[in-house]
Amino acid sequence: MLEFVVRGLLLGSVLGILALPMGLLFTTVRTIDFAVGAYALLAAAVAAAVPGLPGLAAGLLCAVGAAGVMGSLYLLLRRFGCEDAIVPALMSFGLAVAIASLVLLIWGTQPFLREGFSTFLSIAGLRISPQGLVDLAIELGIVATLQAVLHRTDLGRMMRATAANPAGAALAAIPVEALQFATFAAGGLLAGVAGLLIMYSSGLDFTAPLGLTLSGFGASIIFGIGSPLRAMLGGFAMGTAEALGAGYSSGMVAGMVPFAFVLIVLATTRFGEHGLAGDRL
Amino acid sequence: MTTTTRREVLAASLATAAFAGRSARAQSKDPIKIGAVLSLSGPVAVFGIPERDAITVAANAINDKGGISGRKLEIVLIDDKSNPTDAARGVTQAASTDKVVAIIGPSSGSGILAAGPVAQRLQVPLLGPAGTIAITDKKNEFWPWIFRVAPSDRVDVKVVLQDMAKGGFKKIGVMYQEDAYGKTGLDYAGELSSGLGLDVVESASAPYTATDLTPQATRLRNAGVQAVFLQISIASLGVAFVKAAQQVGLTGPAYANAGLAQRSFAANAGAQADGLRVLSIGNIGFDPSPPEAELASLLRKAGKEPQGWGELVGSNGLMAAVAAARLIGDGPITGPAMRDALEKACGFPTYSRGHACFSPDNHDGWSEDSLTVTVVHDGQLKPLQG
Repeated sequence: MLEFVVRGLLLGSVLGILALPMGLLFTTVRTIDFAVGAYALLAAAVAAAVPGLPGLAAGLLCAVGAAGVMGSLYLLLRRFGCEDAIVPALMSFGLAVAIASLVLLIWGTQPFLREGFSTFLSIAGLRISPQGLVDLAIELGIVATLQAVLHRTDLGRMMRATAANPAGAALAAIPVEALQFATFAAGGLLAGVAGLLIMYSSGLDFTAPLGLTLSGFGASIIFGIGSPLRAMLGGFAMGTAEALGAGYSSGMVAGMVPFAFVLIVLATTRFGEHGLAGDRL
Repeated sequence: MTTTTRREVLAASLATAAFAGRSARAQSKDPIKIGAVLSLSGPVAVFGIPERDAITVAANAINDKGGISGRKLEIVLIDDKSNPTDAARGVTQAASTDKVVAIIGPSSGSGILAAGPVAQRLQVPLLGPAGTIAITDKKNEFWPWIFRVAPSDRVDVKVVLQDMAKGGFKKIGVMYQEDAYGKTGLDYAGELSSGLGLDVVESASAPYTATDLTPQATRLRNAGVQAVFLQISIASLGVAFVKAAQQVGLTGPAYANAGLAQRSFAANAGAQADGLRVLSIGNIGFDPSPPEAELASLLRKAGKEPQGWGELVGSNGLMAAVAAARLIGDGPITGPAMRDALEKACGFPTYSRGHACFSPDNHDGWSEDSLTVTVVHDGQLKPLQG
């Protein structure tokens, strides 16, 4: 039991990183980017194809580039007068499918992975790959940085202002569109980091985007979309639910357990008042 | 991708048409038209494209030797796009427009099941290169028209379990993906294990999209399994399981079903997949038998590197059709005549291993002797010693 929980927490750190862009975007731009999983896949695919550190950088760059495409599409929609948040969300689904198809076209069905650690740490009788601890450390670092940026810097204040009142923020000479675009791009970067971590810990292939997006989305809404801290906790909860589901459920339902868990949490908390709708950063 | 594929298909059919037209005039004999409705795009293209390559080169080799009783083979290629609806449409087109006398394909089990009723109505036999049990289920009304040219999934599972039993293992675990393929593997393993002195003590499943299989590996380890049977066709899940097993200390060998016997899996899985045992239909890529080597050299001459068993099952389809046409000899070669001849085709030459044999009662032409257990080593599938 304890072992499943520990493994779930380690898995959850990656899911948390995927949940962060969802929360950031929802609070600043008021939409959801469902292509997050696809950015992760793209980063891993490129990084697996190009050896060494340049590969990692190229992977992240491609993920940011793809997210930049999504950001541009969003701004274009705004210019054309589309105020409905569901339109860019649906568009991001299309982009996700396009990226997955592109990856399938170029690299086929091969798995993307890189050799990680081959020795394992033994902690209290549990054999754990150092990769899991690296994932956790990176996540904690990212969350701490984001919290600091959002609450301690001018940039963070501008982001929060844009989220609270875009028109007011624009009047206060805040570059709203640039900030919105930057949030998309930052989401691509975070998703790219998650993709690289998955590439080192278990490997992924062209089928991954939808599952990663849904896990990240589940993690981002479970404790209320909004703060990086909640996204991190949501990731831990999703990871634990996934591990316990795989460990104890009987046949064919391991994939369903985490989502059933999200459903139960959302149905039993005051979702409408404090979850999606109310909380700001 | 679609345009390239279409262009290739067009080019191939133009080439064969031109060639066939010339020979027909020269010998005043019509070519024998064989359809190939294969997945040339979409996810099943991993198998459909090697199938096409092998069918094309094998047909050319037969034509170079004068064809069948002086008649050349003409292959009509149609893309089923990995999609059952397009598979049924492709079979309709091949049979009614192109007037083929037999069809190799569709590439996937669901495609064959969708096209079965069409084949029955248009009276043309299907040579199915898929393992899905249901395609040769005698309860299907269209059963007389379907012939399997690959070992069935049930035979696959049996060979893996036999090898486990030979290795002295008693308690085994099953790791499967959450879909029809995974579930049938689990069911057959449960069904066949007791007869072989094996006991399936634990099973664990994962959705396609799982990124971490350590909980599943932990579950199998806790149950004390001595060996694990992997019913997985998604390469990244296979890799993830191997890594997870090492991490949680799940020792004992893992046996993957034929789904992972792909060159791209062996080449990309890395050192961590070393030691993974993989069931394979022959081993054309890394340890070919003499007929396999012959097919491989035909493919390489055409600029194609053999990928795995896609080439072998594709060539099986063509060789079965050729065997049936030879049995008919100088008689009229039609769909129904081909069907009747296929039921008499037994022990005919093929490029794959084992004894190929159909009968009026058995439409599963290939069995255990066409399979071999390999082991992943240095990015290759090596024969398993001992």
